[in-house]
Amino acid sequence: MVIDNGGQWTHREWRVLRDLGAESEIVPNTTPLENIKADGLVLSGGSPRVGLNAEAMGKCGEYIDKSGVPVIGICAGHQFMAAHLGGKAGPSKVPEFGKTLVSIDDEDDLFKGLPPTIVAWESHNDEVTELPPDFVPLAHSDNCAIQAMKHKTKPLYGLQFHPEVEHTDNGYEMFQAFIDVCQAHKKE
Amino acid sequence: MFDAEKFIDQQVKKVRDEVEGRAIIAASGGVDSTVCAAIVSRAIGDRLLAVYVDTGFMRKGETANVDKMLGRLGVNHMVVDASDEYFDALKGVTDPERKRKVIGEKFIRVFEREAKKFDAGYLVQGTIAPDWIESGGGLRDTIKSHHNVGGLPADMHLKLVEPLRDLYKDEVRKVARALKIEVAEKQPFPGPALAIRVMGEPTRESVAIVREACAVTEDEIEKAAAAGEMKLPWQYFAVLLPVRSVGVQGDIRAYGFTIAVRAVDSVDAMSAVYSKIPHDVLERISTRITNTMKEKVNRVVYDITDKPPATIEWE
Repeated sequence: MVIDNGGQWTHREWRVLRDLGAESEIVPNTTPLENIKADGLVLSGGSPRVGLNAEAMGKCGEYIDKSGVPVIGICAGHQFMAAHLGGKAGPSKVPEFGKTLVSIDDEDDLFKGLPPTIVAWESHNDEVTELPPDFVPLAHSDNCAIQAMKHKTKPLYGLQFHPEVEHTDNGYEMFQAFIDVCQAHKKE
Repeated sequence: MFDAEKFIDQQVKKVRDEVEGRAIIAASGGVDSTVCAAIVSRAIGDRLLAVYVDTGFMRKGETANVDKMLGRLGVNHMVVDASDEYFDALKGVTDPERKRKVIGEKFIRVFEREAKKFDAGYLVQGTIAPDWIESGGGLRDTIKSHHNVGGLPADMHLKLVEPLRDLYKDEVRKVARALKIEVAEKQPFPGPALAIRVMGEPTRESVAIVREACAVTEDEIEKAAAAGEMKLPWQYFAVLLPVRSVGVQGDIRAYGFTIAVRAVDSVDAMSAVYSKIPHDVLERISTRITNTMKEKVNRVVYDITDKPPATIEWE
């Protein structure tokens, strides 16, 4: 399920999942937890500053804490996840829009087999400034130290850049990797 | 992956179930509305009328071409010349959002008029995903009000039918190819047309300048692509800037307007990179515009911004 936080590319996330053959649905972030029936959740990006405004992010916190399925936060979803779990998010010193080079520091599940540096598409004024406890960084860019993060043991991921955008290299592979994580988690 | 044949079958069935009586379709001659016209006409036949509105903001030769194309498509169709109404409605309007809303509302009023004559209760539109995404609403910010979404008046009487709502341009093209539609590969063109390629008030005069500049830009780029000099960009056009600058033309001081040439590569319009057009091609565009339009334009610039941060069109 794609949780809609009002991003310009929310519908793209749905499209990439559908293109990869996953059954997918966009729902508002105010959907009650009991109606969230999915094998994995994507917390979408949002309109300006929404990632720092817990109220505008609806029930995203509940989904992270209680849905029991893998969750990936993108842009505002990523920032919210960090702040919600005890890290920090705030205004970027240098906001990034459009084409950015992202260096992958740790392939983990999400970036398995990808080149060390990829072209990624960005659109953010804010970013994660401090990781939550038990999270590790996976990627960075010149202007943003935490382009990707992951929980050490739980299937929780955050990406500052937008893998769903056509111009991001290897975006489909990242979504496929997340689908694989969801399928593996379902079997456990 | 997206299955065009399956999509067509589903939508034909859906439209057949949904539409009772007659419908009109807002037809621009672009790929979205033409695909829609083909699907809906397959579903309800002669109970559909395609209405093409000449707003006065159309490109060179466009109205005549679209009229012929719709004829070849075999869809019931008509052309409405509403240009006086549009220029009147936009008198003194310079704000881009205001322009889009005025144009959107005007479209609906014209369609309501024609629907009444045809006794139709439905308006079919070729709305696609970026139109409603960028128009905003709820949490989503308004990037620009697309005329067919954000420009709709609250008191509209027609019921909307939008079969392509969840598709992006690349998917619409797949459907168009499956339907063997001749405009399948035509470059996108916004509904408010040249009115949003004139920064400032769209008057008959300013629109005429940008119309000519767009024609030159399209022609030179298409020639260069056909000659193998470059790949055809996803979208390519000219914009008239309200900025005047000093020049010298034939030993005489000139003080004319500026044309910005824009060309981008994209797949779905939700992100785009500017096209790396060869300098020789840019130079031919620049020389031809300034030579043929020397009374009005003495400077041409090339837009090198990606989306984001810019959008494809300037307004």
